[in-house]
Order: sequence, then structure tokens, then C-alpha cells
Amino acid sequence: MTMKSLITTGLLTLTIPMSASAAETLVLYTSQPNKDAQMTVDAFEKQNPNIDVEWVRDGTTKLMAKLRAELNSGVTKPDVLLIADSVTMESMVDGDYLYPYLSDYRNQYDASLYHKKGYYYGTKLITSGIVRNTRAAERPTDWSDFAKPEYMNQIAMPSPLYSGAALIHLATLTDNPNLGWTFYSELHANKAMAQGGNGGVLKAVSSGSKSYGVIVDFLAIREARKGSPIEFVFPKSGVSMVTEPVAIMKESKHKDAAKKFVDFLLSQKGQQLVLDQGYLPARSDMPVPAGFPSRDKIKLMPFDAAKTLKNNEANKARFSEIFEG
Amino acid sequence: MIVSRTDSQLRWLSLLMFMLIALLSILPTLKLVMEALNKVDTGLNSPLVAMMTHPKTWTALSNTFYTSGIGTLIALVLGASFAFLVTLTNIRGRSIWVFLFMLPMMIPPQVTALSWIQLFGPASPILNTLGIAPPLGSPNPVYSAEGIAILLGIQSAPLVFLALRTQLLCLPIDLIEAARISSASQVRLWIDIIVPLTRSALVAGGALAFVSSIGNFGIPAMLGIPINYVVLPTLIYQQMAGFGPDTLSNVASLSMLISVLVLVGMLLQQWIQQRSQFALIGHSASSISFKLGIWRAITEALLFTILVLILVIPCIALIISSFVPALGVPLTADTFTINAYVEMLSRQGATLRAFSNSLTLAFSASIVLMFLCLPLGYLLTRAPLRTRVLLTSLIEVPYAMPGIVLSIAFILLFARPIPVLNISIYGTLFILFLAYLSCFLSVCLKPVYSAMSQLDKALEEAAQISGAGVFRRLIDIVLPLTAPAFFAGALLVFLISVNELTVSALLWSAGNETLGVLIFNLDESGDSVLASAISVLVVLLVVMIMACLSLLAPRLPKGIIPWHD
Repeated sequence: MTMKSLITTGLLTLTIPMSASAAETLVLYTSQPNKDAQMTVDAFEKQNPNIDVEWVRDGTTKLMAKLRAELNSGVTKPDVLLIADSVTMESMVDGDYLYPYLSDYRNQYDASLYHKKGYYYGTKLITSGIVRNTRAAERPTDWSDFAKPEYMNQIAMPSPLYSGAALIHLATLTDNPNLGWTFYSELHANKAMAQGGNGGVLKAVSSGSKSYGVIVDFLAIREARKGSPIEFVFPKSGVSMVTEPVAIMKESKHKDAAKKFVDFLLSQKGQQLVLDQGYLPARSDMPVPAGFPSRDKIKLMPFDAAKTLKNNEANKARFSEIFEG
Repeated sequence: MIVSRTDSQLRWLSLLMFMLIALLSILPTLKLVMEALNKVDTGLNSPLVAMMTHPKTWTALSNTFYTSGIGTLIALVLGASFAFLVTLTNIRGRSIWVFLFMLPMMIPPQVTALSWIQLFGPASPILNTLGIAPPLGSPNPVYSAEGIAILLGIQSAPLVFLALRTQLLCLPIDLIEAARISSASQVRLWIDIIVPLTRSALVAGGALAFVSSIGNFGIPAMLGIPINYVVLPTLIYQQMAGFGPDTLSNVASLSMLISVLVLVGMLLQQWIQQRSQFALIGHSASSISFKLGIWRAITEALLFTILVLILVIPCIALIISSFVPALGVPLTADTFTINAYVEMLSRQGATLRAFSNSLTLAFSASIVLMFLCLPLGYLLTRAPLRTRVLLTSLIEVPYAMPGIVLSIAFILLFARPIPVLNISIYGTLFILFLAYLSCFLSVCLKPVYSAMSQLDKALEEAAQISGAGVFRRLIDIVLPLTAPAFFAGALLVFLISVNELTVSALLWSAGNETLGVLIFNLDESGDSVLASAISVLVVLLVVMIMACLSLLAPRLPKGIIPWHD
């Protein structure tokens, strides 16, 4: 009966290593890059030695697919979500999956950064601007430059069908009276390539298969500091932004620990961590990371999460129509 | 399962096997069908009807068909010519050729895609050295339906190669000798003997290549999305991006469509294999060796060129991008740095954990599958035709389903504790293990089944008449004669699962990350240099494992290790 014994051994080798037992375990689903997620968790555990955080990292789209399948089976795995954008959070609010928590720290934040009932809180600003390869011929200063003939065939951008940040970027720019959907038609006429995510744009521009791109700020600035032949430009008319909000699941069994986690991210210490990781902290009294211009040079375009959620499907459909029709 | 001439052991075995297939194939498939039929009673407004009437669905379907079809042809040409040349001719250094030909499967598809993009791009180190690099931002020929097809073909060529090689080693040399004595020409020899005898394996390999191309996400995602060329797996991924109430049903509907494609492929395969049954009796004592004469050097040069294209260049690109400080920085004496490796190997254990998880999973999945396929393949060869077609198609479905869909089915099945037993396997390595079994059962079964269906029944009947029970016959007769196929199957499973990404991507959880997940996560969050470093380590690891197998080769039965004769 080799087979039987084999399966048993297989089972034995696959038993889960028991994690060091702490008083409480908090499960975090996040779309932060590996390194940052580990840093955030380490700092939080240091401050709360009796809480043990287990985290799962994936792109927002995949993470949500996983979460949706779990919720469909009637299981709530995570206690806390820390994902890229507030529009996804709005859809979670609509589905009644989140727990409203009014953190005392909220007064130190701009009201546009959190849900007024406390369903979610933005923790940092990730803006989308322009990246150019340092060998490129042109020096774009604003979005409208991308409609010029010199940029034909030279632009890479993340696809709103893949990336949450890109979808918000689309909603923000199409709401802008000077750009609107006309701008997206011009982009298509200029043969702009809508890549998968921001990582793809970074690869295209730094390896020179495209000269310019639309990309999230920290990625381009961080790689440029490492020596990659690219530079990031904050466009004159403004940038779109996502806020990487944190939220507590309604069904969480560890509400107190979850509240501590939210408070930690919003506290001075948590915001310092954001700064150290190379992002723009959400709190406006914090300095900016190396390689960023001062806050007054960064113009944010207005954006409404609830409205964007309503228009999401229509926006996606219209984008597909322009870029594929 | 109906088995002709049963004995009690056989009946018991059939029942066990059926339960296993039920667990690994029928359950996840059923779950998805139920999900797809969600709200079907609302008629025209149901997600299923909405998906099926959407023009994009049909575009994606025909694109999938086009890229996978051409990809399969390329895989067949590449895999078969390699198998024929390396197995049947007096080419020098056979084992090295085979060894190298197996490697392209080891490099994750997204890495292969990236290296080809860079190879033809403006920053191409090779083209720049030659001074023929295109200007900055010039369009890239790799971004096209044909580019996708070529890479799919390269990726699945080893599947064809392995399936075919097992068969070639069993070619009856006496037939060939007889033909030669009757002064048959080379061409006649091929048309009348070699091709008919290997048709079954060619079809099996082609089917594997086709199915694995249909379900491939990495290549069409990197090369198709930028030019809005959508295939079914990428369309599914786009559907995932919405968090609507119908998302899961839409995805399930699309997956059913993929399953139908697979089913058609399977029926076709069965039909062809039915018409080309020839009994073979295991290994011939000496393998056939055509003398190539002056053509030998030319053939070797050709093989070398192909290998440079499909293996050396991607590898060089990978190695270069793992030693630079940031992407896009040219590799010079000043920029050379091993930071990426230091960072990955010294960082709190994630890397080592991923290595050990992936190795554990790949080893256990390949060994367990190897032992499952012995009775399963045997029963299938004895089952009536209808049952056989049904079961093989069922086994095929999970392999063809895009990984993201299969993992959703597994989440839906196992998120809650298993009833009766009350154990929750969700969030452990075990659910990954089950998913791998489900996904790769067909990969292991195909070569095994193909070899078994060619066995001469007389041998086994002789044993049966002498009173040997079914297990006795399996172990003493069937296993030794088909051992190479088993090993080939298990090896394939191991090689594919070490780098598995799409299934793991949703099923992994804290502490259970696999190598594929680690590479993908790093790559996606813009740490391409770190991702390349890990990929280099993965390729090294696989080369080492294969080298260890080579050392074992003299102690193993003939033909077990594909790159040893």
C-alpha cells in the first residue's frame, strides 16, 4: 500500500507550522508592496507586542477577487483592509461589509481623505503624473502635451481595466473640463499603449520601449533615485490621486485590535513610516519624501469617490470603446 | 466506471479512483457551472446570457483559438523535430540537447515575454552592441497575435517533446530493419512506419500543448493587453476588476466557454487516437539511429540556433537584469551590483520560505500524481470508450481553466470548514496541494495513458492466466514497461508546479507564499530587479535538480530520465 503511506506522509509534510501564539491575531489584506507591508506590520507589532499580524499581499484586483469568493462562501477572513483606492472601498460600503469607526485622529486630516461615517481612512497620497525616459526628445509639462503629434507612438499608460489607480485617473481627468473624454480620444489617436499596471509602464519607459508614460509618483521617483534613466514630472494642471485607505471589516472578531491598527496608521508614527517608505503622507503637516517637490508645487485635481463608483462601469465601457472600437 | 472482466480488486480500485476524480475535477467544475447558471431563470438578463451575447466574448474566443492553434503548431514542429532528431539520429551530445530543451519551461512565461520585448526593444543590450538597435520608443514586433503564438509555442514545445520521446524509444527496431532489408526508401520508412507508430503520442502532446496554451495568462497578458488583443484568460481577468454582484457569474460563464473549447479538443484527440492504435512492447534493446552523414553538422547548427533563441537569450536578459541597480541601467563594470541577491536572501525569510514551500508542493504533487496515474491510466485503457472520453475530458477541464478561475472554485469549495470532518484547509499549504493535483492530473496522465494504450495486451493476459492479481500485474508488467512515461509525467508536473503562479496567486496566504507568487508580487510592485534575481535562482535550482537526476540515471531503468539514453 505504497499509495496510502505516501498520502499520509504528504499530509504530514503539509501540516501548517504553528505561529508563535500571541494574545490576539489580526489578519490584514493589503495591496502594499511586500517590503512596505512587512515594514508596516513590524512597526505596529513593536508598538503592540500582544497583537500578532498575519498579512496577505496581492494586487487590488486579485485581492478583491479572493475576498469576494470568500464572502460568497460566508467567510470573513481579514479583520482589516489596506488597499489602493477609495472607490473599491465605496463598493465595500455599498455591500455593507465595513464597520464604521470614528478615529480620534480624523480631525488632523482633510475631510476629503476619509469617509464621514468612518468607514475608511486614506493613509497616504499616491498621485499619478508623467514619467519620461531621460533620453527622450520632448520635455512634457502637462497632460495636454500628450495630444501633440511629437508624442505619437511614444506613450505607455496603465489600463483602467486592470489598475484601480488608472481607473481613478481616468475618472479624474475626464471630469476636468479642459481635458474630458476628448483627451482620451486624442491619446488613442496618438497610439498611446494602455499597459496592464504601473509596473508595466515603469518597465516600458525605463527600458526605452516607450519614451513617456503615465505612472504613480513613488515608483518613478524611487527608481530614478536608484539610477534608472527616468524622471517624474508633476503636470501643471494637476495630478489625480489614490489614498490607500484602511478599513475594518464588519464581521471582524478582533475589533479592538483592528481599531488600534487604524489609529496606528493615522498617528504621527504611522505617517512617519509612510514618509520613510517614500510616499507622500496623507497628513498635510508632514514633510515630503526625498525626490518630491514641496507640497505647494503638487496640485491635486478634485475627485469624488462615491460618484466615481457610480460611473465606474460606464467609464470602463467608454474607455474600451475608444481604445478598441 | 464499468470495467470489462472485473476482479474484486479492480472494482475496489475503480471506486477509489472515481472518488478521487470526483474530488479533484467534478467538484470544482460543478461549482463553477452552478455559479455560471446563477440567476439563469431571469432569462435574457442573466449574467450567462449577457456574457454569451457580448461581442467581446466572441472576439476573445476567436483570438484564443487563433493564438493557441498557431502556438500548438509551433510547439508540434519544435517539439517533434527535436524529439526525432535527438532520439533517432546519430547526433552528438544527445543528453545535453535534451537537457537544454527542457529548460524553457522553467523560465516563468512573463519573464520570457519580458526578455523578448527587451531583446527587440531600443534598450536591447545585444542589438546595441551590434549598433542596430531601433530608436527610442519604436514599436515592437513582439506585441502581436503572432508574437503571443510564438511564445506559447516555445513554452509548450517541451510537452510535445516529452510525450513523443517516450514513444520513440519504444519503436520496434525489427520493423525498421525489415523495411530496410526490403530496400524501402527513407521517406517510405517515415510515412509507413515511424509516423503511424508515433501518431498517438504526437496527438497527446499536441493536445497538452493546445490546452496549456488556452489557459495561459502570463504571455497574452504581457503581449496582448498593450495592443488590446484580448484572449479568454485576459478577458476573465478584466472581468475580475469589477466588484459587482455578477462578477463571479460572468467569470464562471467565460470559464465554461473555455471548458467547451477543451472538450472539443479532447474529442478530436480521442477520435484520432482511436484510429491509430498500434501495440508496442516496451523498450527495444537498441534504439534506432539514422546516420545523418554530412547533414549532421548542419542539423546541430540548426538545433543550436533554435536553443540560442528560445533559451540562451531569455536567460542572458534575465541574468543582466538581476545585476543592475535599477531597471534600464546598462550593465557595466561600474553599475554591476549583487544588491538584489543580498536583499532577497537576507530579508526575513520570505525567500527561503517560498523556496521550501514551492519545493515541498512540487515534490509531493509530482510523486502523488505519479502513483495515482498508474491505476488511473490502467483503468482508463480498460474502460469503454464513452466512459473514457467523459473521464479524460473531466480531468482535462481543471488544467485548461485559467488558474484564477480554478482557485476561485477552490475558495468557494473550501473557504468554510469541510462538513463532517470539520477541518478547514483554507489558508494552509494543503489547499494549494489539492489545487495542484487537480490542475496537473492531466499533465501526468497524458504520457502515462498514451504509453499504456500502446501496450500489447498479450503480456498482461498471460500473467492473468497464470493467476496474477491486478496489483501484481500493474507492478510487474505495466509499470516497468511504461516507467519512462511515468517519470516524464512526474517530471513535467514538478517543473510546471515549481513556478506555478496563477493558481497560487489567489490561494496563497500569509506564510504560504510560493516562488511564483513571490516573483509576480515583486514584479508587479515594480521591483523587477529583485524579481529577476529570484528567477535566476529558480532556474539555477532547477538545473541543479536536473543534474542530480542525471547522476542517478545509471541506477534507474532505461529511458526514465528524458535526457539520458
